[in-house]
This record gives sequence, structure tokens and C-alpha cells, in this order.
Amino acid sequence: MAFSSLKCPSSRFAFPPSPGPGSRRVAAASPSPSRPPLPRRFFSKRISSRSPRNRHWSVVSMHEAATVPLSPEKEIDLKVENGVASAISAEDNRDLAALSTSKKDSTVSITVVGASGDLAKKKIFPALFALYYEDCLPEHFTIFGYARSKMTDAELRNTVSRTLTCRIDKRENCSEKMDQFLRRCFYHSGQYDSEENFAELDKKLKEHEAGRLSNRLFYLSIPPNIFIDVVKCASKSASSANGWTRVIVEKPFGRDSESSAALTRGLKEYLVEDQIFRIDHYLGKELVENLSVLRFSNLVFEPLWSRQYIRNVQLIFSEDFGTEGRGGYFDNYGIIRDIMQNHLLQILALFAMETPVSLDAEDIRNEKVKVLRSMRPLQLENVVIGQYKSHTKGGTIYPAYLDDKTVPKDSLTPTFAAAALFIDNARWDGVPFLMKAGKALHTRRAEIRVQFRHVPGNLYKRSFGTDLDRATNELVIRVQPDEAIYLKINNKIPGLGMRLDRSNLNLHYAARYSKEIPDAYERLLLDAIEGERRLFIRSDELDAAWALFTPLLKELEEKKIAPELYPYGSRGPVGAHYLASKYGVRWGDLSSEH
Amino acid sequence: MVICFRSSDSVAFSTSSLQHERSFSRRRWRRWLTSAPHLLSGRQPSKGFQIKNSNGYPLNAASLQDGLAENLSAEESVEKRSKDGSKQNGSTVSITIVGASGDLAKKKIFPALFALFYEDCLPKHFTVFGYARSKLTDEELRNMISKTLTCRIDKRENCNDKMEQFLQRCFYQSGQYDSEENFVELDQKLREKEAGKLPNRLFYLSIPPNIFVDVVRCASHHASSPTGWTRVIVEKPFGRDSESSAELTRSLKQYLTEDQIFRIDHYLGKELVENLSVLRFSNLVFEPLWSRKYIRNVQLIFSENFGTEGRGGYFDSYGIIRDIMQNHLLQILALFAMETPVSLDAEDIRNEKVKVLRSMRTLKLDDVVVGQYKGHTKGGKSYPGYTDDPTVPKCSLTPTFAAAALFIDNARWDDVPFLMKAGKALHTRRAEIRVQFRHVPGNLYKRNFGTDLDKATNELVIRVQPDEAIYLKINNKIPGLSMRLDRSNLNLLYAARYPREIADAYERLLLDAIEGERRLFIRSDELDAAWALFTPVLKELEYKKIAPELYPYGSRGPVGSHYLAAKYNVRWGENS
Repeated sequence: MAFSSLKCPSSRFAFPPSPGPGSRRVAAASPSPSRPPLPRRFFSKRISSRSPRNRHWSVVSMHEAATVPLSPEKEIDLKVENGVASAISAEDNRDLAALSTSKKDSTVSITVVGASGDLAKKKIFPALFALYYEDCLPEHFTIFGYARSKMTDAELRNTVSRTLTCRIDKRENCSEKMDQFLRRCFYHSGQYDSEENFAELDKKLKEHEAGRLSNRLFYLSIPPNIFIDVVKCASKSASSANGWTRVIVEKPFGRDSESSAALTRGLKEYLVEDQIFRIDHYLGKELVENLSVLRFSNLVFEPLWSRQYIRNVQLIFSEDFGTEGRGGYFDNYGIIRDIMQNHLLQILALFAMETPVSLDAEDIRNEKVKVLRSMRPLQLENVVIGQYKSHTKGGTIYPAYLDDKTVPKDSLTPTFAAAALFIDNARWDGVPFLMKAGKALHTRRAEIRVQFRHVPGNLYKRSFGTDLDRATNELVIRVQPDEAIYLKINNKIPGLGMRLDRSNLNLHYAARYSKEIPDAYERLLLDAIEGERRLFIRSDELDAAWALFTPLLKELEEKKIAPELYPYGSRGPVGAHYLASKYGVRWGDLSSEH
Repeated sequence: MVICFRSSDSVAFSTSSLQHERSFSRRRWRRWLTSAPHLLSGRQPSKGFQIKNSNGYPLNAASLQDGLAENLSAEESVEKRSKDGSKQNGSTVSITIVGASGDLAKKKIFPALFALFYEDCLPKHFTVFGYARSKLTDEELRNMISKTLTCRIDKRENCNDKMEQFLQRCFYQSGQYDSEENFVELDQKLREKEAGKLPNRLFYLSIPPNIFVDVVRCASHHASSPTGWTRVIVEKPFGRDSESSAELTRSLKQYLTEDQIFRIDHYLGKELVENLSVLRFSNLVFEPLWSRKYIRNVQLIFSENFGTEGRGGYFDSYGIIRDIMQNHLLQILALFAMETPVSLDAEDIRNEKVKVLRSMRTLKLDDVVVGQYKGHTKGGKSYPGYTDDPTVPKCSLTPTFAAAALFIDNARWDDVPFLMKAGKALHTRRAEIRVQFRHVPGNLYKRNFGTDLDKATNELVIRVQPDEAIYLKINNKIPGLSMRLDRSNLNLLYAARYPREIADAYERLLLDAIEGERRLFIRSDELDAAWALFTPVLKELEYKKIAPELYPYGSRGPVGSHYLAAKYNVRWGENS
């Protein structure tokens, strides 16, 4: 049974309009099913333009934790200083204009900066095509590839077309749709730090926008050291004159608190907070999105969601392959920065946050920041690091991390890490949150495991033997692969005896939902186009996240802590078990069931 | 793996329950000694097991108390003996099925005994006797029952061998139900088969209730075990109301003590009903939710998709409320709602169940809807009405359907409606427990649900039959780019998880009776409390000649049940 019968995915905003005046929740409102859905931001901004306090509230709250406090006046100053910000603070007016002009008169131009890169080819273009295929993109849109290589539009289309795939369940019209899509893709070659080249891009964009209200989205699929250059050029020479301009950036967002703050400062010279869309693609994963639904739309979970019932929480990420000759970037960051400080920590914050006031982006992000700020900075003794070494199995030799030609021979970069974190608030005091992330392990998976306490005064204790903790309930949310949610319960084995076992109350996505689950990038791109910021990381969140990990990362590097070696394809270093057992935890993913 | 599931840990369980029983009886013994020492003078408590052995006459109700205590202590020594005895060459169990030619015996009891034998769950030495009025030879009995003995699906190997072995242990004795002589003959035959071993005897009364007491009298006087235990299994109906039930109990207790009476409610032997306590008490995640704070209502639903089909004679004098609600559904309710017992021992569990029953508000006529099915033609086929059954009086007002709202006035369940629904000739066959939870307070996703928040609440369903399953309905995001929610199930389908065939309820109950495990049998005070709840409304229905609401054969039952539910803001779970 679906609670909403609307078909198009963008009907996500097809809630019945709420009557509350000026409520931020109205932001989630949209037209009735009979009308084509308008991008939600129009509504949102209309509301906020009516009640400017709301808008300022969000700005102020954002900067409560940020280093550079911005007052509304400052915003105006910015506008004066550089032409970019003017586009933004004028956003309210434009939104009104956008509302008055019909939807047909606006257009979105999506520029993928670094179009020849791997991510662009593998993820961004296919995601855009999938959105197009599902009719989720605005009617008028243009896609531009921007990179240094010389290429024609046709060449770009050629490259892109190789990676565009249609959703499994509906291949009909695929090639037709693909052609239509490719016709809207163009290429512009230019340097990343050349304002001239961006001015040329601007001209081309204008051509395609053909006088419509233009909105522009830049996707920076480039190394972080040129982020600022591109942002500077784009904002000065290629931002929209009358619509919005938004920039999507991918990790890494610095290597520590300082570099991250510097990057944020750099970006904010040219952009305001609302224009920056920091992507953490794990937040776009279906089951991570579902985490809040599970918690907040079901009565049966929330009462259990605290230290009273939860013994520990485990966030597990593992890959079954190594760097495979592409370790150059990785070696500079290591697994803690690459996976833990962002993906796993974001999931943790979503998992542990208090109930937000509403589902609006600012409300959710406020709660996430509160969790992060309640956390104890990570201590060296609560971390175990590892690095994979080569391993021969069945005649195949699997290379060590150091065998990767792009990795320095004496690298101490961890390819595995386990950490115990604590949230010192009323809900979670004393509950260990264990994280584990590693490359070249025996399996590929990402999951959240919630281990519950044992039943006090268990009547069936004789059936369990001495170790009550082995028989506790466990809620597992398997993010990938093969999405599933299951709750392990103790159950009587059918038969004449009274033997108990652990069975699962199971929700296996593949069995329940026949539709293919969209890629995280699709969701995030659509959100960025629609101005939905819920799944993007705000500057103060990022600061708080770095604050937790930076001291540890520095200590690891200063003390040159050697990682524990583990064989390629193994279950990782033994140290992870010692760390877990220090807090009375058993890793859930290594129990006998697997 | 041990084939008989029980073997490994039931050792632990049964010894402990034995210990418990002992201390229990000692406690009672001591209390009794101090309170009434004069009663001791006449009898030596350790001497006779049967009451008749001590004074030759049935005890009257006044001295039951003392007989009980005596017997408990006697049984203690018996169990001790049988335990020691069985270790050497020792003990044997004789199972006599009184009413062996009946339907239940053929369809359920013999097959259950065979299944237990097949699984090696019966004691090494055992004998099965059929007793009935018809003249049959042993061979004829074997012939008759062999047709209904079936092997478990998953292991048909050696089935014929095993069947032969089993049938060799089956014998027949023909006799009148009220003839003490015939029971003396039975006793002789039993002795023959017992061959000097310590005899334990189990009588299964698969007979109409009006001859219960005759059989019990004859059996206890002439065929009870002189040295081992003697137990009697009785099936419903246990009377038709408080008075007749109390009368039956009094009569039984003239010849038997409480501990000898095993009142079967075969629903308590169903796998998922057994599992109910495991779910609640061995999982952390359910117990915190198990109260009025989170549970909005509980539904106990039983439906059959066939009518009386020419066998309505018995049913007509009882009706669905007595046949299903007052026993099966109420027993499940008590198990569901009871407080945590001190232990899993029979007395502890039954104490808690009695407490629930006694906390319940007596059922009122306003909270009951009765129905009766009428004839219905569908797809050219016509289905008969209840009163079309030739064995049913034309003017019968007996309900074949009933719905009721019950309340437990204790701290845990105050104001939570427990809705029961039971009916024949409905559209489906099922028995299930549905727990509907309250709505999420301050639901962030309320806009996704529309105005009716109650439609989107969690629900825990325990499907007892058919196709056993446990599932929890949760709200979940439909995968995709939108934020649409639906209800999905966290699912445990027994057929998928446990490929072994699930044992029939009778197997479990017979085995329990043999092992003296009383957890799943109904104690006299439980029965009294259950009748106390239903008797006034049953009398009022009959006294006022309340006409049942007619519903078509194969339908979802009378509309009245929906009004009743709506009165308490309940919606019956889907498909019911």
C-alpha cells in the first residue's frame, strides 16, 4: 500500500499543501497531482521572501558554529564586492519572478567541470541520463562538459554514450531517449583557472538558454586543489544573471580542520552557504535515506533508540579490492579521511540525532551538528589502523598496498581503520559507536548494526547457555549490496522441544521492491537542481566532523604509527577485535552467520 | 543431531520443574501440617497414591484439599521412584484412548502417538490401548488406525517398518463406558503388557462430556496404576457455563486430584502460540512495547471457511462462543497479556494467566455481536445455511459467528481493547493474533500519510495457521527518488526459515502429558475464571433469545462486528 499514488518520482513533493501560513513546512508542498510538479524551491523561496526572518534565521543558525559570522549586512557587502553574491541575495526577487514567469520560461544548465574524468563518465552523466529518462529533469535543460582536453560535442557524446545505461526494468525507448539526451549535451574546452574560458562558456550557455530564466549548476568533478580557481572563474564569469547558481563539490573537503576551514573560506569568497552543495554520496543511498523514515515513522523503533536498550552501534564499510594501481590520491588521504570522517560519520549523525523539528534541510542538519558537537574527539587508543599486504590464494597473487606503483614504498597510510566513538549526550552516554572501514577485505559491504542489550531477567536463559550477549536482538540495515533491513529475534525452533534460535524478521528489498533502486548520484543531483539541501553537508557540520578526527589524524602522522598488516582478502587486522572487546563488543559482521 | 528435539534441554527443564514441584508440594505439605494436623492421623501420606487406596471411598469436596496435598506428596515419591526405576529396567507407559473408534482418535490421537514414536519421543516401553464399545479385535483396530497414520513429509524412510513396530504395540479392549467390570478387564490386560515394570497410565478421554465422569470413576477405581502415576486427558467442552463446569470439575475431583487432570486446549499446543512467550520474554525489543503505552488494540481472530456440514448436532448446543472464544482465544489472550512469570514452570505460568483472567471485565452484551451463516449461491454453487444442516433445529439461534470486545483492568492494559472474532463458514480459514500499535506521536512524516494516521501504524501479526508466520508491518520509504512511504513487512515465514514440518499440537500435548509437563493444560481455577467472564453474557443471549445477525456462507461475517470494532476505534486487520 502506498500512501501516495503519484507516479513521477518528483512527486516526492506532492504532499497536500499545508495551510499553515509562512510555515517552513510549506516548502515541502507542491501542486496537486493533476498539475505538473513545480520545483519545490519556488514555493520555498516564495514563502521565505514573504517572511524574511525565516531566511535570516537559517543564515544565522548556519553561522553559529562557523568561523566567519555573516550578518545580513555582510551578505549585502558581499554582493557589492563581487558580482556573484548579488545574484544570490537577489534570489528572493528572482524567485518571485520565477513564479510569475511560467515554468516553461526557465531552464537549467548543468556544467560538469572535469567532464573527461572518471567520476563524470561513470556516475554523473549516467545519473543525469537516468533522471532524464525518468522525466525528473526540468523541461528545458542543457548539459555542458568542461575540461582541458580538446573535444567536439560529438566526441563528448560519443564518450558519454558508452556509459549511459537504462534502468533494468524499462528498456523501452532507451536508445531514443538516449539520442534525445545526447543532443542536449555539449562540450566546452578550457583551462580551470581561466576567466576568459569561463566567459566563453557563459556565452555558450546563454545561447542555449535562449533568453529563458537561467539557473546554473556546476558540478566540480576535479581535484580539490583547483576547486577555488574554478569557483572563482565560474562565479565571476559564468554565474547566472537572473536565476540561481549552485556548485556541487565532492570530497575531499580538506585533510584536516585547518585545510577544510581554508577551503570553506575560499569558497565563501565567491559563494554563499546556500550555493555550496557538498556531496556525500552515502547520504544519497536508499537505506541511509530510509534510516530517518524507519526511526520517525514507526512507533516500534523510537522507544528502543537509546542507551537504555542499545548496547552498541556498528558502522561497517568494506571493499573487497585494493587501490589497484590508482593509489595516488588515496595515499595522500587514507581510509579515515576517505570513508570514516565523512560517510560513516554522516550515517552515525543521522542515526543518533534527536528528532528534528521538521524534515526541512536546516532542521535536520541542525540536529546532525548537535550530535557531532556532543561527540568526544577521537583518542589514539580508540583507533586501530591497518594496511593490506600481499596474499597468495589458489595460485592467484593479490598485491600489497605498497606494491601499487602509485604508492610510496614506505607509505604508512592506513587502508583499514577501526574506531570507537562516543556521544556524550543524555541519549547515548556510554554507548560505543564502532566504525570499521577497510579496503582489500574478504567482502564488499556497507551496513549499520544495532546490537541491543540482553533481556533483563531472561526466563529462557538456560536455553542460551552462559553467554547472554550472544542472544541479544540485533537490527541490521544493509546499505549495500543487496539492500535489506532485518531484525534478529530469538525464536523457538518449531518442534517438540524448547530450543531457541535466532531468526530474522526480514525485509529484503529485492524481494519486496521490484524496481531498481536509483543510484545515489541521481538523488543528489535532483536535490541540487531542486534546491533540497537535506542531503548535503553544511559548513558547520563539516567543521564539527573535522574537529573530531583532526587531533587523531595529526597524532597518527606525527608519531608515524605503523599500521597493522593484514593479508589481502582477509577479515582485517586482529587489532579491531581487541578494540571492540575493550568495550565489550563483538563485531556483528564476523559472527558465524556469514 | 538428536532426533527428538526434547532430549537435550528438556532434561534441564524437566528436572528443574520436578524440583520445583517437590518444593512446592513440600511447602504445601508443611503448611497443611501446621494448619490441620488432625487430618494426618487417619492416613499415611506416603502410602497410597490413589485416594481409594487410602479409604476406599471417594473423598468429598471438603477434604479435597487434604487429598490434594497427600497426592502431591505421593506423586513426588512416585516420580522419584519412576525416575530411579526407569534408570534400570523399569517403567512403562500405557496410553488408553477411551473412545478409540471416534473421529478425533483416528484423525489426531493415534497419528500423534505414531509421530511421537517415529521421532523416538515416547518412552522405550509403552503400550497403546484403544477402548470403546464396539467389538473389535486388536487386528481390526490396527487396520483402522493404520489408514490415518502418516509419516512426516521430510522423512519417509523406514516409515513402514516404524509403522509396523508401532502397530504391534497397539491393542484393543471393548467395553462399556460405565462398566467397572470392563475396566477391571482392561486393568488385567494392561498389567499383562506392563509385565512387572513400574506402570504409568495415561487415559485420553475422547468421548462426549456426559460420560466423562463415568469413565473417570471406572478408570480410577479399577484401572489406575497401583505404583506409578495415572493421568487423565480431557478435551473440551468443560461444561457450558460456570455452574456446569464447576460441577464437572467437582465430579472429576471425586476421583482425581488436580494434578491428574490434564485439560487439553489444543490451541495452546500450536507452534506459534508456544512461541508467543518466547517472543515476548527472550527478546529485548518487544517487551518495552508490550503495554497500553504503545499498543492500541489486540485482535484475536479465528475463522473457518466451512460450516457444520451435517455435523452440527454437538455444535448447536454450544455455539461459537463456547466452542472457540471462551477457551482457545481466551487462552491465547491470557498468554499474550500476562505479566512475566517467575519462571517457565507450569504453576508459575498458570498463576499469571489466572491473574489476567481475573483482572478482566466480565463481558457485557453490548460488547458482543453474534451471527449465523445463511445459505449463499456463488458461481452456480449453493452453500447451505446453518439451519439447513439436518442435525440442527430449524429455529436454532446458536451463533456460528461472534465478535467481542474485552478489557483487562490492570495497570498494563487498562483501556486497551482486546477484540476477538471467531466464525464458521467465512471467506477464509485462519487463526492469528494482531497487535496494532499506536500512532507515532508528532509524526514527522504525517503529510505522507494523509489525514488518517491510524492507517499507518505498526502492526505485529502472529499467524498461527495456516502458513505460520510472524511479521511486523513497518512504514518504509519506497525506493526511488521520491519520498513516498508504504507499509512493508519485517517477515519471518516459517515455511522458508524452518523447512521441517511443524509438529501437530496433539503431539506436543500428548508428550507433555506423558512427561507431566502441565504448562499447556488448563488448571481448574483458570477454567473457573474463564467461565466467569463469559457465563453472564451467554445466559443473557439465551434468556433474551437474541437473534444472530445472518451472514452469507463464505462472506466476511456480519457487519455488526465492524460497528463493534468502530465503537472502540478499532479497524479489524486486513483480510479479516
